[in-house]
Amino acid sequence: MSAHRLAQVPPGVQCFVGEEARHRRRIEEAVVSVFEGWDYEEIIPPLFDYADVFAGEALASKTYSFVARDGSLLALRPDFTSLLAKIAAGRLRERAAPLRLYYSGEVVRYEPVKAGRQSELFQMGLEHLGGDARAADAEVIAIAAECLDRLGVRGFVLALGHVGVFAGLAEEAGLTVERTLALRDRVESKDPAGVRQALTGAGVSPAVAAALERLTTLAGGREALDQAAEAFAFCAKAKAALAELRTVTDALETAGLGRHLAVDLGEVRGLDYYTGLVFRVFAPDLGFEVGGGGRYDTLLARFGRPLPAVGFMLGLDRVALLLERQGRLDKAPPALAEKVSGETLGAGLASAVARRAQGGRVRFGNGAPR
Amino acid sequence: MSLTVALSKGKLLAGSEALFRRAGLPFPNGEGRKLVVASGELRFLFVKDMDVPTYVEYGVADCGVAGRDVLLETGADVLEPLDLGFGRCRVVVASPAGRAFAPDRASTTRVASKYARLAAAHFQGRGLGVEVVRLAGSVEIAPGLGLADCIVDVVETGRTLAENGLEAVEIVAESSARLVVNRASFHARRAEVQGLVEKLREASR
Repeated sequence: MSAHRLAQVPPGVQCFVGEEARHRRRIEEAVVSVFEGWDYEEIIPPLFDYADVFAGEALASKTYSFVARDGSLLALRPDFTSLLAKIAAGRLRERAAPLRLYYSGEVVRYEPVKAGRQSELFQMGLEHLGGDARAADAEVIAIAAECLDRLGVRGFVLALGHVGVFAGLAEEAGLTVERTLALRDRVESKDPAGVRQALTGAGVSPAVAAALERLTTLAGGREALDQAAEAFAFCAKAKAALAELRTVTDALETAGLGRHLAVDLGEVRGLDYYTGLVFRVFAPDLGFEVGGGGRYDTLLARFGRPLPAVGFMLGLDRVALLLERQGRLDKAPPALAEKVSGETLGAGLASAVARRAQGGRVRFGNGAPR
Repeated sequence: MSLTVALSKGKLLAGSEALFRRAGLPFPNGEGRKLVVASGELRFLFVKDMDVPTYVEYGVADCGVAGRDVLLETGADVLEPLDLGFGRCRVVVASPAGRAFAPDRASTTRVASKYARLAAAHFQGRGLGVEVVRLAGSVEIAPGLGLADCIVDVVETGRTLAENGLEAVEIVAESSARLVVNRASFHARRAEVQGLVEKLREASR
C-alpha cells in the first residue's frame, strides 16, 4: 500500500461534515415525509445485486461491477428503479397492484465529475407500479411539486414531454437506426438546423421532416400542446401521446399546479427506457435539472411481472446546492447543548443520563483528570 | 435579474457584436479588458471560445455564442436553438500534400489537433485507432516538424494549410456560430430567453 493514498481522495466521492450533513438530513426528512404523506411505502434495497439486474439502457457502462467468490458478476447499485422492479416482481409478487414504493439512499456510477454529477449520488424517489396510468402520472408529478414546494424551492418548473411524440414521428420517417440516433441527438439539443441536416438525403416526406424540425421549437406553455396537436395530426402515435399529456396537464391544472408546468416535446432523453410521459425539474439558480422521472411500462416484464409503472427522483446533492443558491437552506442551528458534569465521573455521567432522559441536549463534561 | 451571455473573445467576437447590434440588443462599448460587463438588460462574459459551452452548461451564463466545432469538441449538454450563420468553417483532416492519410497504417499514425476528442471520435468511428496528440495551437506545423503525420483542424480559406504544405483530405464536420442556451434557463427563465432567441433569430435571417 502506498502511504500517500491514505491522504488522497478518489475522484467523485463525497464527504459531508456537521452543518452540511445536517442540511442534507433535513432535506431528506422533508422529502420522505411527503412520500409518506401520499401513502408510499419505504423499501431499503440491497447495496449490490447481480449485474444482470441493472443491465439494459445506458446504465450498464456506468456500473461498478465486481466478481463474487462463486464467479458471478455483481454490481453496486447504479439506480434504485431496477431493484424496486425486481422486488415488486419477486418478494412482493402476491401484493395486488397498484404498489406505491419509495427509496432514499446512495447509488454509485462511473460518471465524469461534471455539472453537479458525482460518482456517488444520493437519490430520493418513488415508483408507482400498476393502477390507472393517467392517475398515476398525475399523482407522481403532484408529489414532485409538493416536495419542491415543501423544500421552499423558488420558481421551479416541471417540464413535461412524452417520448411517444418523437417515437411516432421517427417511425413515420422510417429512418435507419443510425440516422434515428443522430436525429434524436439534434432534437435533444433543440437544434433545427441539425435536424434538417440529419434528415438530408434520407428520403423523408417534407411533411414529416417539417414535423420533426418543429419538435425543436414546441416547448413552453400549454399552447405548445395545441400547436403540436395541429402539427402532428397525421401521426396516430404522436396524437395518442399528446392526448395522454393533455389529460395529465389538465388534471394538474385543475389541482392548482398549472403555474409550475411547462411543455417540452423535444424532451427525448432516456428514450430506450421511458415509454410514455417524461418530466424534468428545473429551477432558477441551478444550471441543470434537480430531478425528473417518467413512465416505463416495459421494465417490470423483464422481472416476470409485467406492470406499467411511473416514477421520479430528486437528487439530494442538487437539491442542497439549489437551496443554498436560493438562500433557502434551513439554517436553524440545533439546540444549544447544556454542559453537564459532576464531582466524580460516575456522578457526572448520572446527571447527563438523567438530563438525556428528560430529552435535553447535553455535552458531557467529565474527562480524565488533566 | 438580467440574463448572462457568454461570448468568445476570439474569432466569433466581431460577428457576435454585429449580430447583437443588428438585433437592437445592448452590447458593451469598448470596456477594454474587462471580462464581465453589464450592458443594458444583459450581462456579458468574455471567455475563451472553448470555454463558452462550459459556462452555459453549468448555468453561469444563460446563453452564449459558440462554434459548432467547439460544441462537438466539448460535448457540452446545451441547447442549440439557432444557427447564427456567421463563422462558417470546416473541421478537416489535413495531410502534407501528396501524403494522404493511409487507413492501412492507422495504428502507427499520429494525429495532432486542438480538437482531440473530435479527432479521436472521427477515426474511431471508422474503426481506426490512431494516436491523437493534443496541442493548444499552431497545429499546422506539427507534420512538417515530425510530431504528427496529419492534423485535424479548422479551415476557413485553406491559406494557412497551403502555407504549411498541407491539404485537406477529409471533412470531419461543418461548423458555424450557434446560439447556445442552458437547459434550466430555457425553462426557468423562459420569457426572457425566448425574447432573446426571437430577437437574434430575426437579426440572423
